[in-house]
Amino acid sequence: MSEVKAGRFWGNFPALLPLLAPFLVFWAIFWLMPLLGGVELAMEESPSLIKTEPSASTGFNNFLRALEDAKFRHSLENTAWFVGGTLLVTLALGFFLAAFIYRMKRRYQGISLFLLLIPSLAMPGTLASLFYLFFHGKSGALNQFLVIPLGLEPVNWMMSPAWILPCLVAQAVWRWTGLLTLLLYCGMRAIPRWQFEVARIEGASSLAMMLGILYPGVRHLLLFGGVFLFIDGVASFSGAYSLLGGSGGVMDAGLLFVTYVYQVAFPGGGGRFDLPLASAMCALVASCSAICGFFILRLRKSGALRG
Amino acid sequence: MRYLISRIFVGLVALITLYPFIWMVLSTFKTNREIYQPGHLLPQSFDPFAYRLLFSAELIDFYEVLARSILLAGGQAFFACLVTSATGFALAKGDFRGKSAVFLIALFVILYPRQAMSLSLFEWMAQMGITGSLSGVLFSGVASGLGVVFFSQVFRKVPDELIDLAQVEGQSPFGCYLTLLPLVLPALITYGVLHFLLAWQDHLFPLLVLGAEQLTLPLALAKLADSSHRIPEAVGLAAGVMAMLPLLLLFGYFFRRIRTALSEWVVS
Repeated sequence: MSEVKAGRFWGNFPALLPLLAPFLVFWAIFWLMPLLGGVELAMEESPSLIKTEPSASTGFNNFLRALEDAKFRHSLENTAWFVGGTLLVTLALGFFLAAFIYRMKRRYQGISLFLLLIPSLAMPGTLASLFYLFFHGKSGALNQFLVIPLGLEPVNWMMSPAWILPCLVAQAVWRWTGLLTLLLYCGMRAIPRWQFEVARIEGASSLAMMLGILYPGVRHLLLFGGVFLFIDGVASFSGAYSLLGGSGGVMDAGLLFVTYVYQVAFPGGGGRFDLPLASAMCALVASCSAICGFFILRLRKSGALRG
Repeated sequence: MRYLISRIFVGLVALITLYPFIWMVLSTFKTNREIYQPGHLLPQSFDPFAYRLLFSAELIDFYEVLARSILLAGGQAFFACLVTSATGFALAKGDFRGKSAVFLIALFVILYPRQAMSLSLFEWMAQMGITGSLSGVLFSGVASGLGVVFFSQVFRKVPDELIDLAQVEGQSPFGCYLTLLPLVLPALITYGVLHFLLAWQDHLFPLLVLGAEQLTLPLALAKLADSSHRIPEAVGLAAGVMAMLPLLLLFGYFFRRIRTALSEWVVS
């Protein structure tokens, strides 16, 4: 047994097993086994290619097929734009909102945060319905308040390939900004007050305090929020599925990665029922995004996710 | 002056964010014709026909859908709190070989997108013969990496003297965890509510695993948003309002505690 430090529990694993075992058991059953099963499935022969036994292994053939699939690459490109756009806008808007709420009188802070949080509480399907019924269309809010007043022709947002992806980004930004603002505001509240007092004595402007004190104070939370939005964006399904009815929209302009995987896997989507290929796609993308997220987190030296 | 600029900016964003929801609530009393004119806010009459139709079980059994979603999201949040807080406690207050490995596992559970696992999880559950069972959906989300990381930081702030005291009294690590659990009640509530939110909104996995007769709220909303327009749009919007209501109540009631717990968490 290793030396026990003050305020620390027994140095052996078995003593802590009652605390660790439930998590490890659930993790093994519902995460590790499906993960390994998914990799195994990705190496099986696809139903459309079956010539011998249904479960014959094809090695990495399905991974190569995935990479050669132009529609898969297109869905990845769309997903990258979707994730990038959502990240940039949500992080910037969340930061400025949190900074402005932090500067407000305390009695207004709670209510402002709660009101901004409301879209996060709505189902992605509800946001999609609202987008379709309220914002979309010739008489929708976007055309009425943004396009027509500028003397431009009304835009058919969901039928125009150039606008489908920005609409999906707007929906994601609408959903997550409030939650991120709350997190960043909590981070700003934790910054010692004396830093602001010193800056004020030295005559620092509001902008200088925002960039010199607030931003460094919540940088680790911006990174954490960024990783969360990145993972959520890569795996985004419900909003696009509800808005585009399970398709990728006109010319697949809104086809995201998970929607395409669903189309490949189930006949209701694209009629292909190709689970091995869909598994290979999932394994490829999820592994890459997990490794990316891991290295992004390793970049930071201290903060919310240190072990 | 600086208060004024802040208020105007936040007020403007809040208005743009919230106006569609006010419109949504009022549109649950509108006919399709009124809804397709989004410039009009108020309905011609406040006839709650959409709510009557929604709860009449003519289209879907909405009571059952609501109960199923509450059971799944509530059950998953409850078990996730128990399981991940125990692991978080062990990581925060235990020194053991393999600690880094457990933390790394939790981190990769966060980083590996769950939706990308849904397909293989669906296959795995089919092999185990639990496809279509609510318990399969409920327990699949219990091992939350975010929960482990969150609680490990929460327990790190619990004074070490309490652990020393527990050891002097001969308590086991598990006994000590149970004793200290009430001290982190705000964190338990915060994580529970956040996990409930994510489980409540989960769409893909229930779509794959549960049958057409076992709808959860996201699936019911997708069904009610009928592209053939046979179902009045107001019914789908009413379902959206009803789906938001439990979360609004939960967040409204616990909001102060959530803010406090998050403020303490972000500095750890």
